[in-house]
Amino acid sequence: MSGLRALLGLGLLVSSGSRLAAAGGGRCPVQRVSPAGAWGAGRGRSGSAMQNPGRSGVTHLSQEEAQAIDQELFTEYKFSVDQLMELAGLSCATAIAKAYPPSSFTKSPPTVLIVCGPGNNGGDGLVCARHLKMFGYEPSVHYPKRPGKALFEGLTTQCQKMDIPFLSEFPSEAVLIDELYGLVVDAIFGFSFKGAVREPFGSILRTLEQVTVPIASIDIPSGWDVEKGSPDGLQPDMLISLTAPKKAAQHFAGRYHFLGGRFVPMALQQKYSLNLPPYPETDCVLQLP
Amino acid sequence: MSCPSTQSGEQIEPLRYLSRVEAEAIEKELLEDYKFGRQQLIEIWGHASAMAVTKVFPLPSLPRKQPTVLVVCGPDQNGAIGLVCARHLRVFEYEPTIFYPKRSLNSLYRDFTTQCEKMDIPFLSYLPTEVQLINDAYNVVIDAILGADAEPGEVKEPYTSILATLKQIRIPIVSLDVPSGWDVETGNSEGISPDVLVSLAAPKQCATRFLGRHHILAGRFLPYDVQKKFELNLPEYPGTECVVSL
Repeated sequence: MSGLRALLGLGLLVSSGSRLAAAGGGRCPVQRVSPAGAWGAGRGRSGSAMQNPGRSGVTHLSQEEAQAIDQELFTEYKFSVDQLMELAGLSCATAIAKAYPPSSFTKSPPTVLIVCGPGNNGGDGLVCARHLKMFGYEPSVHYPKRPGKALFEGLTTQCQKMDIPFLSEFPSEAVLIDELYGLVVDAIFGFSFKGAVREPFGSILRTLEQVTVPIASIDIPSGWDVEKGSPDGLQPDMLISLTAPKKAAQHFAGRYHFLGGRFVPMALQQKYSLNLPPYPETDCVLQLP
Repeated sequence: MSCPSTQSGEQIEPLRYLSRVEAEAIEKELLEDYKFGRQQLIEIWGHASAMAVTKVFPLPSLPRKQPTVLVVCGPDQNGAIGLVCARHLRVFEYEPTIFYPKRSLNSLYRDFTTQCEKMDIPFLSYLPTEVQLINDAYNVVIDAILGADAEPGEVKEPYTSILATLKQIRIPIVSLDVPSGWDVETGNSEGISPDVLVSLAAPKQCATRFLGRHHILAGRFLPYDVQKKFELNLPEYPGTECVVSL
């Protein structure tokens, strides 16, 4: 095994960031979070003030922690918003396809309305729409407030050129939405949301609250306080938590809670004691209990 | 549930193998008309490449005790795709090691390197010429050296030596998009013979000369209009998967 040691040993490494053990030293030093560790055996838990296990043992993040992790991904790890948004949107589409396969729709073709807000949550929605189209759904997008940034303009163009219609007006009544669509994706507000809901989203959310077809919210049910939730607000059937669930997810009462955004480096998971359960194989989504 | 085929007859239209010009035209259309970002495309292809690798070499099937994979990255886009592939393999709990002798100066690609470094993926400072060392250390080698835009006549050092080494190894090679050193249309009878070819988006003409065990199509994002325009006749992807065996 000396040849292996030579290859993996310090003499051949240019990157001092590597902590890979020498050959024969056993498993990769970066720990895999085992189910035992996630559900309360205590391994991997730092006992710090940041710890806040939800029902399942997985950590539920405060708004501040969610923002800190996001910042670290961009500034320390040098991920670009483009990259992570692509992976996040793919997760959302995949989770939706698992919970609401096209065959489960009473409408044919399986029509989906995606409502996109003015920030990154909206961007996630645009990526999700595009992947849903590739998965055989018929998405339509409502995107009333668009940021003038190249990233969002690009994502919008990609959807439009793929014949995904952009509604110029939001359906005025919930019954219209129930008539036309088998599912609504709420991509309005995400974990940065604070304060009052501005128009047109106030009216949109009031309409969505009356809708009877299932609603899938990306990351945070829009309008909810990111930590405290909202008993009078939107009650989605599905929540796709990105990276890790936020505290608001503890108030989620719908049928399907999925975790998506499988890109958080293990070192970051450990730093914030995320206690994420392991994703199955190469899946980009994981259903939480 | 995938793209509706243009023809209504019973016969399935054959898969199209792209010329260099067509491959370039598709990429140009994606970037200029559809406004895909280059980093976005590389992320999509890198992720899909990693999925293809796991499909052919699932973790439990690897012969060595450690799930080690060597990823050899070239200086341009194919190399960047290799970096993203390595990163996703890491997420999937493989143990990739990267050999990236000539790093791209392109700032767009530099961040891909940082992401790999920060995820504790080791970067070799040189590739041993002693082939047995590579055979012993790794389960698979990913060839992400040269892509469809490369001119085989212009392969320079250090890649000529690297390819000469890869020709001799006995562990499987997975080539991303085009076996490095091959002409994108006519192949190369003197070049490497990968076991697995991962064609990105659509296969190139040289894939008809591919003699290895597995040909996988990866990257399920091509808009239907592009598929129709270039008469790609891509097979259906199963479920929500982004790879399909050809």
